[in-house]
Amino acid sequence: MNIKLQTPAPDACASCPAHHIGNLLRLGVNMENWDYVVALAGNPNTGKSTVFNALTGLRQHTGNWPGKTVTRAEGGYSYGDNRYKIVDLPGTYSLLSTSMDEEVARDFILFGRPDVTVIVVDSTRLERNLNLALQVLEITDRAVLCLNLIDEARRHGLQVDERRLARDLGVPVVPTAARQDEGLQELLKAIHEVATGQFVCKPHRIKNEAPAIKRALAQLVPQLEAAFPNLPNARWVALRLLDGDQRIVKAIQNGEFGDLNAHAPVQPETNLELQLEVVS
Amino acid sequence: MTVQTGATQAILETADSLRWQIGREFHEHLMEDIYTDATHIADRAVTRPDEKPRFDLDRTIDRLVTSRIFGFPLMILLFTIVFWLTISGANVPSSWLATLLLDTIHPLLKQGAAAIGMPWWLDGFLIDGMYLATAWVVSVMLPPMAIFFPLFTLLEDFGYLPRVAFNLDNAFKKSGAHGKQALSMMMGFGCNAAGVVATRVIDSPRERLIAIITNNFALCNGRWPTQILIASIFIGGLVPAYLGGLISALSVVAIALLGVLFTFLVSWSLSRTLLKGEVSTFSLELPPYRPPRIWQTIYTSVIDRTLIVLWRAITFAMPAGAVIWLTANVTIGGTSVVEYVINFLNPLGILVGLNGVILVAYIFAIPANEIVIPTILMLTVLVTGAGGGAGAGVMFELESQADTLALFYADGWTLLTAVNLMLFSLIHNPCSTTIYTIYKETGSKKWTAVASLLPVVMGFVVTFFVAQIWRLVAGIG
Amino acid sequence: MPDPLIALGTAVLIITLAAFLFWPEHGWLARWRQTNQLNERIRSEDALKHIHKFEMKGRRPTLESISGALNNSQNDTAQLIAAMQANNFLTVADGEIHLTPQGRDSALHIIRAHRLWERYLAEETGFQQSEWHGQAELAEHRLTPAQADALAFHLGNPTHDPHGDPIPTADGALVAHGGQPLTTLPLDSPGLIVHLEDEPEVIYAQLAAEDLHPGMVVRVTESAPERVRFWSNGDEHLVAPIVAGNISVIPLPEDEMEEDTDGCERLTCLSPGETAVVVNISNASRGPERRRFMDLGILPGTSITAEMRSPGGDPTAYIIRGALIALRHEQANLIKVKKTGD
Repeated sequence: MNIKLQTPAPDACASCPAHHIGNLLRLGVNMENWDYVVALAGNPNTGKSTVFNALTGLRQHTGNWPGKTVTRAEGGYSYGDNRYKIVDLPGTYSLLSTSMDEEVARDFILFGRPDVTVIVVDSTRLERNLNLALQVLEITDRAVLCLNLIDEARRHGLQVDERRLARDLGVPVVPTAARQDEGLQELLKAIHEVATGQFVCKPHRIKNEAPAIKRALAQLVPQLEAAFPNLPNARWVALRLLDGDQRIVKAIQNGEFGDLNAHAPVQPETNLELQLEVVS
Repeated sequence: MTVQTGATQAILETADSLRWQIGREFHEHLMEDIYTDATHIADRAVTRPDEKPRFDLDRTIDRLVTSRIFGFPLMILLFTIVFWLTISGANVPSSWLATLLLDTIHPLLKQGAAAIGMPWWLDGFLIDGMYLATAWVVSVMLPPMAIFFPLFTLLEDFGYLPRVAFNLDNAFKKSGAHGKQALSMMMGFGCNAAGVVATRVIDSPRERLIAIITNNFALCNGRWPTQILIASIFIGGLVPAYLGGLISALSVVAIALLGVLFTFLVSWSLSRTLLKGEVSTFSLELPPYRPPRIWQTIYTSVIDRTLIVLWRAITFAMPAGAVIWLTANVTIGGTSVVEYVINFLNPLGILVGLNGVILVAYIFAIPANEIVIPTILMLTVLVTGAGGGAGAGVMFELESQADTLALFYADGWTLLTAVNLMLFSLIHNPCSTTIYTIYKETGSKKWTAVASLLPVVMGFVVTFFVAQIWRLVAGIG
Repeated sequence: MPDPLIALGTAVLIITLAAFLFWPEHGWLARWRQTNQLNERIRSEDALKHIHKFEMKGRRPTLESISGALNNSQNDTAQLIAAMQANNFLTVADGEIHLTPQGRDSALHIIRAHRLWERYLAEETGFQQSEWHGQAELAEHRLTPAQADALAFHLGNPTHDPHGDPIPTADGALVAHGGQPLTTLPLDSPGLIVHLEDEPEVIYAQLAAEDLHPGMVVRVTESAPERVRFWSNGDEHLVAPIVAGNISVIPLPEDEMEEDTDGCERLTCLSPGETAVVVNISNASRGPERRRFMDLGILPGTSITAEMRSPGGDPTAYIIRGALIALRHEQANLIKVKKTGD
């Protein structure tokens, strides 16, 4: 079954930032002086922090340990005439379980609606990493896949066809070796193109649901789309509701999805959902 | 536009009723769908040269470092090298720093203060109190950390540490803990605060709490000097001179091993009592080996670990120095405040085989264990009225071990005092930097309190029993 | 300085006293709390639960059955019933005891609280399966309806407790599991476990020890008055009929029975170098651990190769979807696999 996705509201210009200022502020990210916000997601130990450091010129410690970044880091850079704020999310295997880290990463992508989500994957173990990538693509359609550690893949004789991957996933795919500063210019360019709307992603969505799930979605998704016309990921929200995800239930109740006036200033709440550690 | 409450309510009701229809296996089905797609896409994109699941070099290294024969010896060898490099390598820069900060700059500052006519109390408060305590902490703490952390980080970058967790997991499992605790414990030998931060890699809530609470039993860098000094003057002195070095070294190692034993014991009992209901899951990924980037590692580990820990220690040591100086110099009726406190705590101290001075020193040393010995010396001189000190509230260390021993004997120390001091140094509350770190990491006042109070209570219990049994057996008072 | 002998004696005395007072479960404080639990309200709630259960099963609650369930003398029970009658929880007519609507509401709340708490213990804590029921017996009397609702919301409005019992909804709807006792399942035809009765505890402990869970497929091979023999997920189980009677199953059409059980093994039986395909994750694995397995890509059909064993004997590292993951023996034992010849 293919559920038609909502296209952006007609008055939204293609190159305007898509992020949700109000929710971002609530998440502890101040967007003053920044044009776009970029989230960095990925499995643990894929070199996500190295990519972050390479993009921002910061020197956050990165180790060969699955699960290093526990507090989030944020930094920034300029590309062309635009200033990008970049947020390093905790490394997770999935966005569907209920650990603290996964919730932080998920909430940021879902409610903050970053202009671009860069999914960092380990080229040498693509299958496992695509699990998270596909989950991210369910939530957002503004993503870039960063095929990191491509040097290791090459060293071991693996060939990754990034064009085919890009076609299958529907988002730009950039091979990088962040430790050697390889491919970073291309990554910056891809981020820029997605952020400014020059490249419009048509992300892959998961198929093959069981008939019972299909029926349930057919009932729930139209209801969601009617209530929240601007929701870019009604199908995913429906799946989470069917899984009994209480965080999503709460978001439905308090209207976090319904706030269409995305660029109206919002006072930050006193209890922030996400504490960011600013390293810049 | 606001969404009608009615509409949201209807959505949630639909979802709830649908959940009864789709069955309990929903989450499983969803994950299967995702992975089916992931496999399909990955298969189309990746061409493998052959059907090798892993790379040859990784496999060879793994065979070696996890082998039944070489696995453990290799591990012991590597960590011995790390500790040896740390201890022997830190001696030289430590004495440079001590010469510079304590013997050169301190007198210069005093002269400078005298030259501008600074009143004695301000000069004492700032220079003898705050400056000296900070300088002491820096000279003792900085060099070992600047060596230990980069070495450790290199092993980490290479990918060896997860293999250590893999090798040792069975031992930790038996005490209800996680193999990765081996690493946070090892890190704790450098600094408990860093060890507590290192528990982040343990992703199971129960095992992580266990690792945090027991990290204090890893004898940290700030406590090694106390152990070494007391062991060499009291225990090393029991045997002929040529054996002295060996015996005192062995007794320090025995204390450190006792700490490991306590780690296991406390882990075991915590996992069966206080932490019984906490969630426990095990997962340990063994990442591929990567050639470490030496310069970058040294840079980031010095910036990230060493300097941050040092900075926190300094922020706590400075006020501590000020308090020590004040309590030693503010007098009520001719007796300084600190002497009142010492006299008050003395009966308790004697009961557990220590004395009031040691207990007071441990209160002062909550910010940084490095200042225990200088504080004990200063207070002992103050109490006994013996010569040789640097003045009330001024920390110092004696050049010769014989002088130190004589000073301690003058205050009524016995071998029991020395043994119990070594035990108490191992088993007492974590330093304030560590307590603060525990609070930041757990976000819980309850667990911070448990981690802080449990060891100090245990310390009193252990020293109490050792003292009573010692006195019974030795038949002395 | 006090005499060491006196000091030692005093300390030992204090420690003994403290242990006597505060020892978990057997100490004076714990006992005092337990007896304190057994007040009138709790007995009345337990009686409501019992009557409701009998009504659901179509049996007739009696004075004897209630006093048996409460472990109470019949005199006390009679008094309790009189008090409950006065509170408009039940009616007694012609010796038959019936719940009033108000009584039924209360009973459903208790059941809801009990099952929610078990679900909570199973999903979000590390307590052992055998401890769930006992803890829920205490918690059910503590939770107010509002707290039960909050807990249900927190758990994502679960539909079933870990034993397979449906959790009544807040407005009191209760869907029965619709199973029949295992003893009534025809020989050699497959059935799906939908429910394990968790009372009495002695029998439930046996079920838990047999590693049986709702959702498992069973096939009875022998049903004799002294024992029932059946297969489930590759293991043979041999239990007394009274135990088997506490397992509720629904018959399955023949083709849904899992593949023949001979080739079915657990991940633990792989030696380094051997490869197997996952059949399923045992139902004994739940909550965070089960989700973690799935996040790692351990799903039916996944190919797993054992790579190396720790020199300590445990854990073992497996290649799962290209990553090297160490699993402990108990974890690997939860994963059912089928060996593949290479």
